[in-house]
Amino acid sequence: MNEEALGWVVRTRDPDFADWDGFTAWLEADPAHASAYDAMMLADSELDSILPPEPVVMPVAANDPGVRTRRPLRWIGGGAIAAALVATVSIAVLNRSDIYSVTTRPGETRVIALDDGTSVALNGGTTMRFDRKDARFAALDTGEAAFTVRHDAANPFRVTVGDTVFEDAGTIFNIVHTDAATRIGVSEGKVIYNPQAEAIALPAGRALAEDAQGLRVMDIAPAAVASWRQGRLVYANAAVGDISQDIGRSLGVTLTATPGARAMRFTGTIRLDRDPALFFAQAAPLMGLTAVRRGDGWLLQEGPTKEGNGPQS
Amino acid sequence: MATGLSAIFMANRAALLRFLRARGAGEDAEDLLQDMWMKLEAKDLGPVSDPLPYLYRMANNLMLDRYRSATRRERREQDWAEGAGGVMADPTEDIAVDDRMVLNEQLDQARAVLRDLGPRVEMVFRRFRIEGVGQRLIADELGVSLTTVEKDLQKAYRAMLTLKQTLDTE
Repeated sequence: MNEEALGWVVRTRDPDFADWDGFTAWLEADPAHASAYDAMMLADSELDSILPPEPVVMPVAANDPGVRTRRPLRWIGGGAIAAALVATVSIAVLNRSDIYSVTTRPGETRVIALDDGTSVALNGGTTMRFDRKDARFAALDTGEAAFTVRHDAANPFRVTVGDTVFEDAGTIFNIVHTDAATRIGVSEGKVIYNPQAEAIALPAGRALAEDAQGLRVMDIAPAAVASWRQGRLVYANAAVGDISQDIGRSLGVTLTATPGARAMRFTGTIRLDRDPALFFAQAAPLMGLTAVRRGDGWLLQEGPTKEGNGPQS
Repeated sequence: MATGLSAIFMANRAALLRFLRARGAGEDAEDLLQDMWMKLEAKDLGPVSDPLPYLYRMANNLMLDRYRSATRRERREQDWAEGAGGVMADPTEDIAVDDRMVLNEQLDQARAVLRDLGPRVEMVFRRFRIEGVGQRLIADELGVSLTTVEKDLQKAYRAMLTLKQTLDTE
């Protein structure tokens, strides 16, 4: 193994790497260095297939390696700085007259094809902005959208979501943005979260959520990403609060949930049905809930039949 | 487009050219630089926090992409010559069930390798390589020096690259 090349792989892969003069000097010292570096970088990228996708865990006491506290890490401090940096960029980009906005009504979906071959599918209840002069720009103001990006390494596609920027690296991904949270799931390729700041890489099968609890990275089945486009919603241990928002957006119904129901979690697939009555008759029992009509909308509440006298969680 | 980025580009044109040549671009270095310029002209980036590293990063990525597609083409031709069907599995394609089982076994081996490195090294590697977090931040989080983080990373890389090599030759 070429130790020097490995050293430069580790250094240049750092999002904050700045010693390009030093790197140039090393490359110039021997023409073989460049190919050693290229080969090592390629070997590095091929590690992707054997990298265990679990969330990062904090190390526990060294004498007890068998027990692990699975605690997703949070970045609190970095977030504010990141937001400040990104805000400068967004304002500079957004205050231009070439920006146009697209809005879908709840229950309505729409596909926008951009000039560069990228397509963006908007779920219901979504507002986005695009730039007539820059096909590599999109902003998701509220709602949900699935992106199929034509990749160009030197000119990456960037999605601005609030104060956050997602940058593609050859990609199909889905973003949900509500008042309370931003969630992204990646089904193909890779997305970089806030490339100018935290620069968290999200490869296929990874998801990121940012909400009141902070920032978390987790797994997601690639098939579950943007499943709304196939008329299904796929979840692994998702909060019913999030699910009810997804349903409302996809079906165009006003849906609320009792606090008890919102806190419940669900794993499985829900098939979407245009007829809300039929849909809830099938979907609510699946989640261990009942749905009742409330005025123009629907209310999800905990199931009416509690079996036995077990403790109610 | 009087953004700072193109001014920085012009001021450092010679250094970037030198970098591309050292990086192995040979006589294509000028063309690659021209491509970079066109891309910068076309996209009105707005302020970039660190313009010069950004430009170097862009140049380095161009070279990595070149190497990657050349290698991929070579392997495809080789597969073709060996009668393997001529199509190399694209890492982004869906994986069949039995391949999935092999992959799960490989993941288990990778987990074991990482575990054996000790909790700190594993943590550093995961944060850097999987989450894409910078070394300065990792060092601060763990309360260790930057040198320690870099050494941990090299150690983890050596172990993982060796494992990958073993798996590929099996």
